[in-house]
Amino acid sequence: MTARNSFSAVLRNQGLQAVLVYRFGRQLLLAKRRPWWWPLLIVGVPGYLVAAAVIRGCYGIHLFLSAQIGAGFSVQHFGGVEVANCRLGEGCTVGQQTQVGSRTAAEGPQVGDGVWIGGHAKVLGPVRIGDGATIAPGARVMKTIPARAFVVGDPGRVVFRGYDNTQIQPKS
Amino acid sequence: MRYYNGLRRQIGWTPRTLTLKLLLVLGRILAITLAKSDISETSSLDGGVYLSDHGYLIVGPRHLGRGSLIHQRVTIGAKAGGGPIKPTIGEQVWIGPDCIIYGQIEIGDGATILPGTVLSMNVPPRAVAAGNPATIIARDFDNAALRQNLRTDVDRAQFASPCIRSGT
Repeated sequence: MTARNSFSAVLRNQGLQAVLVYRFGRQLLLAKRRPWWWPLLIVGVPGYLVAAAVIRGCYGIHLFLSAQIGAGFSVQHFGGVEVANCRLGEGCTVGQQTQVGSRTAAEGPQVGDGVWIGGHAKVLGPVRIGDGATIAPGARVMKTIPARAFVVGDPGRVVFRGYDNTQIQPKS
Repeated sequence: MRYYNGLRRQIGWTPRTLTLKLLLVLGRILAITLAKSDISETSSLDGGVYLSDHGYLIVGPRHLGRGSLIHQRVTIGAKAGGGPIKPTIGEQVWIGPDCIIYGQIEIGDGATILPGTVLSMNVPPRAVAAGNPATIIARDFDNAALRQNLRTDVDRAQFASPCIRSGT
């Protein structure tokens, strides 16, 4: 990917901007154990706070630093996304108006690798979601989901198992 | 002029097209920031539609008929992994908040989609759809009372837009 393509991708994709700001904030948290980084924090911490406020105000994408998100995470559309106090594996995708975990709950969901969460879906409570599961748009998940399951509806129920969601995951 | 055409042929862009592209991208960011909404440029919208200004509309239907009304936090688009075919929405349709409408479907004229519906099937004209997943809960329902306070009636819209078809 050339420099112009990557610049254009960042400019067009609001979710990518939010993920970049989140990754920057997580890097700042590592500075606790690295005293030689502390001079950089004078610029880094206000820079992160301003960027996060702009992302939240303009696009409504709330990626809190209490969430632990693996590599390859992508947000499909802007608007109303809240990811807090949870753990997401590698290669997860969330849609718009999605809520994964909440800021007030003591314990958040544990989501596996390669999970696709559609728009307007909610995953709340101390639940565990298996690798490669697919949560359809509009589903509300409040119980543990096995791996490679397809969840639909409110309240969410497993419609069938062994669903392969590599077709609907965005191509890296 | 020869230099200009050669530039366009060789590298695919000219200063004019690049400026227009940049304006499109920046204007889109401005619209997302201010209006919190995104309407796909590939969709065709008739005149006289009402889109909520409370935001978080992500709207990309193939066609949206006149007199339709879409509330906030509604997503309309193609099915994930199901090809580029988007929903076709008829005239004078009322779509409540928090709805999701996706896939290759058609919504008839005068239909009502109640709040919180997840719709991926056809809706006949003047029917009411609700639920997650959606079902048809009533037929032959007149939604004029739902739309009357929002000034989407066709008489006003005819003055506002040149896109109204002739007749009716």
